[in-house]
Amino acid sequence: MTPLRPIVATLIIAAVLGVVVFLAAHRRPPAPPAPAPAPAAVPTPVPGKLVLFFPGDDAMLHREAREVPELPAGELPRIRLVLDELTAGSHEGLAPAFPWPATVQAVFLDREGDAFVDLAPPPADVPAGSEIEVTLAYATVNSVVANCPGVRRVQLLFGGHEVPTLGHLDLSHPLAPNLGLVAQ
Amino acid sequence: MRVRLAIACLLALTLPLPAAAVTVATPAGSKDVFARGDLLDVVALLKLAGADVEFAPAAGSYNAATPEHQIQFTPGGALAVVDGRLTPLPGPLRLVEGHVVAAQPTATALLAPLGWTLKGTAGAPELVRVAGGEQIEVSVVRAPTGTTIVVRGTKQRPKVTASQGSVALQFASPVALLRPVTAESELLGGELRENTLTLRVASGVEVAGTYPLDDPPRFVVRLGAAAPVAPVAVPRTGSVVVLDPGHGGEDQGAKGPGNELEKDITLAVARATAAHLQAAGIAARLTRDGDDAVSLTDRTALANKLQASVFLSIHANASMARGAHGAETYYMSADASDPQAAQAAARENASAPPDTVQLILWDLAHVANLNNSARLARDVQERLNALQGIRDRGIRQAPFVVLTGATMPAALVEVGFLSNADESARLAAHDVQDQIATALSEAIVDFIRTPAPEASPSPSAAPTP
Repeated sequence: MTPLRPIVATLIIAAVLGVVVFLAAHRRPPAPPAPAPAPAAVPTPVPGKLVLFFPGDDAMLHREAREVPELPAGELPRIRLVLDELTAGSHEGLAPAFPWPATVQAVFLDREGDAFVDLAPPPADVPAGSEIEVTLAYATVNSVVANCPGVRRVQLLFGGHEVPTLGHLDLSHPLAPNLGLVAQ
Repeated sequence: MRVRLAIACLLALTLPLPAAAVTVATPAGSKDVFARGDLLDVVALLKLAGADVEFAPAAGSYNAATPEHQIQFTPGGALAVVDGRLTPLPGPLRLVEGHVVAAQPTATALLAPLGWTLKGTAGAPELVRVAGGEQIEVSVVRAPTGTTIVVRGTKQRPKVTASQGSVALQFASPVALLRPVTAESELLGGELRENTLTLRVASGVEVAGTYPLDDPPRFVVRLGAAAPVAPVAVPRTGSVVVLDPGHGGEDQGAKGPGNELEKDITLAVARATAAHLQAAGIAARLTRDGDDAVSLTDRTALANKLQASVFLSIHANASMARGAHGAETYYMSADASDPQAAQAAARENASAPPDTVQLILWDLAHVANLNNSARLARDVQERLNALQGIRDRGIRQAPFVVLTGATMPAALVEVGFLSNADESARLAAHDVQDQIATALSEAIVDFIRTPAPEASPSPSAAPTP
């Protein structure tokens, strides 16, 4: 009934809110670093040309030249660009290198020039056949090595793990490019 | 009343929240690090260990670097590239609220190459510099002379004690494992406790010898005392041919548009080929004679066990290119075959002259073996080309698992494409299967009965990149 009660209640609420804010501010860790920091400087884009390998109707690998608006100088961005262009598919009517919509999760490069390409795991119903396996492996290996001077071999990983084989090829080691599978 | 309720609700908000940080004790004092349950922020821990950690957006991976070491890892994976070597981690790395987190064993594995380790509990971890000892790592080198375990990074000569299933290396001075010991070949794992590295090895394996090596410093443990098993350089008339019908059991292989199954076609062709060979006086064994699942390595192992003169794996193909048709024959890539292991072994055993001599002999035999595999592949392909309606796709090289480790001339033939409707229907026909079997058996008979040419360059050397 007294007019002081709403004022007291408001003051109590404000005090409690203050305590909550104080505690919260001192409980949280420092702001997490952004996982993808922005580059320090934006280089001038340099157009370039890639050579990609896709299977043709003869199940041989065929070269496809592709112009890109910017050819990164660094090895890792360049590997990623090659893989993005490869997984996007052919512009010239060639068959896809991967029998499923492959996505690249990560790329590593070691000091020996071995690149490790981590792809999302293939679905369970991937068609069987050595040609499919040979094609996806060597379309990737040939394309990456042809465009990235610092890479000499490529190993495919799936879902962040080494996969010994998809059924035929030995994928437990990095593969060197194989031009014997390329149509002349 | 309503005011009291509001106050009660607000007070409830001040109760403890789930921990979002833990305090990590470090030599430089205590630091708060993001945590979620038992998962710790590995990027923060690596920074506390002195590494510069950056995220490479193009690669999708983090790079932790010190002047001496480089570690690459990615959220979602259970692998890292440590100093250029692909290294399995004990558990996965996860991304939680923008932080890369992992359980303590995984975080410890990432910190180990930098000379740090985590002690204590997940709720009260302690980041500890590994006491000034040597940082060692264990790897396995396989060679025809046997398996060799290499302990890199030590100049010590540990006391070696072997017992059933384990080998203990007792170091006089402190050592720390750079990364967990991973199972490979006869090495099943290992643990380091109080400067004693206990390696678990397969039963029946013995220590054949130990010796230190310099530049870089390492300690070598040779397992087993078996004499080197050289591959067969020249086909032996009179011995058995092993035919391998691809796939089997739940593994159906490729499937044709009319539900033709690769496992059925390969078995039918293999059985008919074996019958033709036996009619020609050559013994033949199949890696499976029914709808059985047989692992790829067991197929090659059977041929090795029988000391077969020829190993031929029979497959039918599939392609995304529906127009693809024809037969092709593969043999092992030179760059993916065992000379790599032999060369690695030769490097590791550089100061062990007897092994080096044996490796050279083995390497010569292997080169001859590769040439003979190429000849076998060519003979098979030429016979298939002579059949009506089969397009010649040539002979090729690729690292097929089933050819890896074969110690005799070995090839893998793809007799046609099940993904091509016309060819699939043909391959399912018994008369066509018998024609193919006749061609394969004639090729094998020719191969066995024709003397191997003198050592010469491979007729189809591995393409140069």
